[in-house]
Formats: sequence, structure tokens, C-alpha cells
Amino acid sequence: MPTATESCFHCALPVPTDCDLTVDIEGNRQPVCCPGCKAVAELIRDAGMSRYYSMRDTPEPGVGRPSDEAAEWQVFDRDDMLQAFAEQGKEHAEATIYVGGMYCAACSWLIETTLTRLPGVETAEVSPVTHRLRVRWQQADAQFSTILSTLAGLGYQPQPLAPENTTRPELIEQRAALKRLLVAALGMMQVMMFAVGLYAGEFQGIDQQMQRFLRLVSFVVTTPVVFYSARPFFAAAWRGIVAKKPGMDLPVSIAVGSAYGASVYSTFTNGDAVWFDSVTMFVFFLTLGRFLEMRARHRSIDRSTALSSLLPNTATRITGDDTTIVPVSQLLAGDRVLIRAGDAIPADGAIESGDTSVDEALLTGEVTPQKKSRGDLVAAGSVNLDGQIEMRVLRTGSDTTLGTISRLSERARYTRPAFVTLADRIASYIVIALLAVATIVAGSWYFAAPERAFVITLSVLVVTCPCALALATPAAFAAAGSRLSQLRLLVTNGNAIEALSRATIVIFDKTGTLTRGLPQITSVMVLDESMTEYDCRLIAAALETASTHPLARAFAMSASLPKVSRHQVEVGQGVCGSIDGRRWRLGNANYVGGGAAIDTSVANSAATNVFLGVDGDVVAWFDIEDELRPDVALTLQSLDGMGLRTALVSGDKQGAVADLASRLGIANFHFECRPEQKLEIIEAAQREGERVVMVGDGINDAPVLAGADTSVAPAHGALLAQTNADVIMLGDSLEPLITAIRMSGKTMRIVRQNLAWAIVYNALALPLAAAGLVPPWLAAIGMSASSLIVVLNALRLSRFTATPRPFK
Amino acid sequence: MSILYVLIPLALLLLGGAVWAFFWAVGSGQFDDLDTPAVRIIMDDDEKPDDADQ
Repeated sequence: MPTATESCFHCALPVPTDCDLTVDIEGNRQPVCCPGCKAVAELIRDAGMSRYYSMRDTPEPGVGRPSDEAAEWQVFDRDDMLQAFAEQGKEHAEATIYVGGMYCAACSWLIETTLTRLPGVETAEVSPVTHRLRVRWQQADAQFSTILSTLAGLGYQPQPLAPENTTRPELIEQRAALKRLLVAALGMMQVMMFAVGLYAGEFQGIDQQMQRFLRLVSFVVTTPVVFYSARPFFAAAWRGIVAKKPGMDLPVSIAVGSAYGASVYSTFTNGDAVWFDSVTMFVFFLTLGRFLEMRARHRSIDRSTALSSLLPNTATRITGDDTTIVPVSQLLAGDRVLIRAGDAIPADGAIESGDTSVDEALLTGEVTPQKKSRGDLVAAGSVNLDGQIEMRVLRTGSDTTLGTISRLSERARYTRPAFVTLADRIASYIVIALLAVATIVAGSWYFAAPERAFVITLSVLVVTCPCALALATPAAFAAAGSRLSQLRLLVTNGNAIEALSRATIVIFDKTGTLTRGLPQITSVMVLDESMTEYDCRLIAAALETASTHPLARAFAMSASLPKVSRHQVEVGQGVCGSIDGRRWRLGNANYVGGGAAIDTSVANSAATNVFLGVDGDVVAWFDIEDELRPDVALTLQSLDGMGLRTALVSGDKQGAVADLASRLGIANFHFECRPEQKLEIIEAAQREGERVVMVGDGINDAPVLAGADTSVAPAHGALLAQTNADVIMLGDSLEPLITAIRMSGKTMRIVRQNLAWAIVYNALALPLAAAGLVPPWLAAIGMSASSLIVVLNALRLSRFTATPRPFK
Repeated sequence: MSILYVLIPLALLLLGGAVWAFFWAVGSGQFDDLDTPAVRIIMDDDEKPDDADQ
């Protein structure tokens, strides 16, 4: 009983209306969308693993759909490939495989159960969080290629990872942190036990010898906690002193160091008291806080590693008439590679021969396949859909678009936002002030009650540790950045979140931003009767090969083009070049006609007119129209609802811009702007106190984007590498812009809550501690609780959901 | 109470053993994945495949 909304039982894509394939699962006939999904579903059922379907979460549509192409896994059985991707023992081999396409714990169950049933496979373990499979097999009984093709047969995209990628630096960091945490935890528990004995002894009386013994064992257990677990704090405090920027680690180190020192002194001189319990507890809570923060940080690294795993493993290199299959890591710029239909593209390159359409969805989220022919650029990680192409490699590895995405998100992680730097600077003043206060407290108590002076000073130091203050901002920004990247937004500049939250006006570029940037020639008017429409298009296509302007894509032709010499691009004006000794120009009326009046009264005012001229005479004009992005109107409505003004600036002529602006209800629009005029408009708005968000594609508008308070660019496949905006929207829709602005507002709210909490806590705790009302152990708990509250509050951001759609 | 002079050093020895064992476990990668075990427990493997020859 097919209905219009029926979706595939296996991959959740809509079932085509002309498809009546079904699969029998646990007695129910379930619809599937293609023979591939049917085969996979039957495979899963026949292996007795139907429970997979009841265990899994609701799949994202399309995930788990098997690839049509049987990839060339055989190549992985070659010795050099095994050496590169597996760790070989005498009889066993082990490999780590990134499993693309898995989305929940049921997937890892399916993969593990299926693989361990293969003869020769000993263990298989998948992490649903990192999507990494660790598999170990007997080399005599199983082959690497069998494992990989089994995974591919289940509908996943396996991706062997070279061993050096598996011992990642964050793993080493995590191991060290775990060891520190455990030493601190065990040490704390032991010292607490001894402390109970010592405290009980204070009340009931204790044998002098036993007291010394308990203090001595406390000293033995505390020593590794201080010198091993707390070492990062001492190291950071020292770095702060050297850099003349004392951070929160300095008071921590002073507190830990002095309490430990005084306790040791007291232990060996039979003094009044020891504070080993406070020391270990303080170190444990601090280490725990750092550990949680580190784990949050690592999750965002996993994301970008996953992104760079979209590359295929092998490529077919063409040398002369021969083709050889080589690992992608061996490709060099300048190599020619053959890409069959269905294969992923291994590197950025230009098509040398063949026509095809390319799916760039993984890169840009754009779901419509892009037509590509000779001369077009294709990006690594996108999928060649229908034609066989030969490609000249331009960029490989980390230089590719895909590599750039990873690098840009990396950059954002390492550039410290101005806001955080400011918070750090304030924190360092606070640290100095706290040290001064502690000295005053110590001095006053020394004269009032010398026997209590040390304990109280210790409490003051511990309780006022500005950890919460220093964590308030970075914790929130880290959580926001990681969540945004899951929502297909790349924040490449740490300052962007704060700037976005203050935005008052959003200025859009037109071409490639509000529109898809896939312009098409809708009509050609030829003025010179000696030329045909086809001649004009050929010349225009040849001239535009040098241009990266979005309109240039409309002119692209797959025919053989005339040779152009002395190519020149005037930004915002057009291009010129010599063909057969004549100087041709293509661009706006002014540029081509040299100011001469051109009769454009018959022109279609909604379209962009591009003029073709030779030696100052106009010979033809082209009407070019560009489709709007799907949700522009909705986005503008939402912006309006959020109280943000909108404006439109475009290099296009009045008719096209005014038409679009009135259709979208944008009152404030500017047309025929050159980049420097766009920049002037932005600067004028800024002088009036506006906070400007500029949304443009960033390729022709680099200075404009740089001039705005925040720049946002929609990503365009192969051109992404040239984009340098603060925020990059991966996808076809403008909706992520709304998400980004809402998320930035929420982030800043959480930062403010955190700061307020930290300040209130310190303001309350300091006088109490200075008055001698807070014992050191309570101080340690109070300080840790305040930092934990800040971190947990920040982590609320990772549950932020994308913009709901109220208009549907 | 003098039994404590034996028991506490003994406890410290055990503690040292526990720390050593944990360091070994971390070093051999047993703690590299802290997320999966939490979900692995809900997947039991006691169900046999439907077809007998597997």
C-alpha cells in the first residue's frame, strides 16, 4: 500500500513511485528504494541480524545505502599496501579502518558481528563515536580486501587509516591525563582514610607514635600526587611567570606547594597539623576539571579527522598508455588520473577530458549534481557520478579544498578570540590582586592569631582560585564551535561568535549568495550582423576562462575555444583579451562600450546584461539569469523576526537588483557597486554605529568581507579554498546563517552567566575565607564545584538544535 | 593498634600494584576509547543466527 511519504526501510530515502521492491523482515513486507538496499537488507536478515533494525536510531536519509560500484579492494592485498595500512605480525595483522556512513551504536553492532563471522577474523571493535574500526585477522585465513569489501557490501564506506594516523597526539594526551587523574584519585582516597584516623585522634587522643606514622604514610602517598599529577599546574604557572602573565595556575601552585611544604615540615618536626588531605583533594578536583575540558576539546578534533577521511584510498594514475593503481598519498600535482563513474575524486584538479556530473554534497551539502566538463575544476572528496573523466591533479593532500576545510577549522581552534584574551588578561590582574589580598590576610592574622594564619591564608588561596573565571569563556566557545561544525557551519575565526551576537545589520551580496551562483544565459542579442550567436558565445566562453566571477560559469562551453592572448581581468568590470589580433572585451556596458550610449531598452530588466565588444564597439549582449537559493525568503523573514535589518549590495545593474530587492522585500539596496564602493557602504554603516555582518561568496569580495565586523560565505565546491570568511556555511541553503546568529547569542548569554557566577562566587567566598570561616577542605570543594558548574553550563551549548522552521 | 604498622604498608603495596596495573592498561590502549563500552553493554550476543549452517 504505497503512499507518497513512504521511505526506504533500509536507508530512509523516499521510495520512487515506480519502484515496488520490498523485503521480508520478521514477517513484515517492508518497502526499499533500490536493488542495492534490498540486497543489504536481505543480507542482514539472512545472517540472522534483523534485530539491527529495531536497535538502530532513525537513520539520516541515504546513510547505509550501498555504493553501486564494486570498488577495487583487491589492491589492498598487495604487500606495499598492507605495509602502509596494516600492522603485520608473524601470523596476524591489525588495521584501523575509518567507517564512513555509520550513525549509531546499532551500526557498530552490525559491523562487529558480521566481521567476526568471517573466517580468520579474530576481533573487530568499532567505536560509534570516532567511527573507527580496529580489526585483527589471521593472515593465512583472511584477506584485508575481504574485510573491506564486506564493509562496503553492508553499505558503509570503509577507509583504511595508515598506522601513523592512529597514534594521534590527542590519544597520547588522553593517556597521560588519565594516568594523572588516577594517581590523584587513588592518592586522595588513601590520604582521606589516614586523615579520618588523624582527625579522630584529635578528639579521642592518639598515640604520638601512631600520629607520626599516619602523617608519614600520608606524606608518602601525597608526594606522587603533587609531583606527578599536579606537575602540569606547576609547569603552566612557571610559564606564566616567565611570560609576565600570571594565570590561574599560579595561585593553584602556590596553594598546593605551600600546603604540601608546610605539611612536610610539620610531619618531620611534629608540628600541630598537616593538610595532606586538602592537597590531594584540591589536586584531584583540578585534574578532573582539566580532564573533562580535554575530552570536550578532543571531540571537535575527531570531526575534522572524519572530514579528511572522505578521500578515496587509491587512484588510477595514467602514465602514457598504461594505468596503474596507486595509493592516493603517492599522487603528485601534475599527475593525470582516470576517474570512473561512481568513484570519489582523489585530489583537486581540472578535467582534461570527459563530461560528467559531480556530487559535491559531502563538501558543500549541495544536493543537485554539478555538471562538469573539460577545463572545469573538481574538488577532492566529491563523487564522480556518471561519466568517466581524466583529470590533471592540481593540489593534493592538505592543499586541497577538503584539506583547507580541516585547516580552517583548525585555525579557529588555535586563534584565541579577543574576548578570551581579554578575560585572560583580567584573570591575570585578578590573580595579582588575590595574591595581594592573601598577603594582607596572612599579615593581619599573623598579628591577631599567629597559629591560625597559615590555615586561613591557605583557604583564601584555594577558595578564590579564579579557575571558574578563566574557564567561563573558553569552555563556552569550544562547545559552541564544536556544535556549529556539526550543524554544517565552519567558524574559522575565534572572534566571529562574539561579533555575530552583536550584529545589527546583515548585508547580502547578490550573485552566488542570495542566488545559487549558477547563472545561465537566457537570451543573446547580436548587434553585429556579420556574427552568429554561436560565434559570440564561443568568444565569450574563451574570454571568461580566465575569470573566477560567478557569472563566468554561465559562459562555459565544452566546444574547442579560440586561443586568447593578453588576458586581463578588471575586478567588477569585466575581462578582456586578444583573439586573432583584435582586442575583445566582455563585461558591463561602461567597460565594453567605453561610455558610449548603448540602447538597452529592449533588455530584460530582471536579468543581468553582459556585453561583448571589440575595439570599442558593442557586438552583442547576453541576458543572464541566476536562480534564487531555495530558502532566501524564509531566511530574510527570520532575520527580520530577530530584529536585524537587511540590505543588499551588488555589482549588478539597477533593474536586476531592484527587481530582486522588491521581490524579497529588502528596502535598502545598492546596485552597480564596485568592490571599493561596497566597502564604502559597509564603512558608512559602521560609522553610524551598525555592526555589520557581510554575507558574500568571498571570491570577488575579499576586501568587502574583510571590512565587515563578521563575514559569512556560502561554500562553493572547488572555490572554497579561496574563501577566507569568518564563518563558512557548508550547504546550499542560507538557513545556517540564522542558526549561527542564534547560536552566537546563546553562547554569549552563557558566557555572561558563567562570568557572573564566577564573580559572585569569588565575592562571597573571599570574605568568608578571610574571616577564617572556611577550612581548607571546604575551600577545595567550593572552588571545584564553581569550576564544574561553569563547564557544565557551557556544555549545554552542545545540545543546541538547528533553527526550527515555524513557517512550514 | 600495632597491627596497623603491618596493614598500612601492605595497603600501600597493593596501591602500588593497582597503579602499576592501571598504567599498563592505559599504555596498552585499553582506555583509548571511553565511549563505546557504555553502549556495548546493551547489545547482547546470545541470539544465534537463523540459519543453522552458520
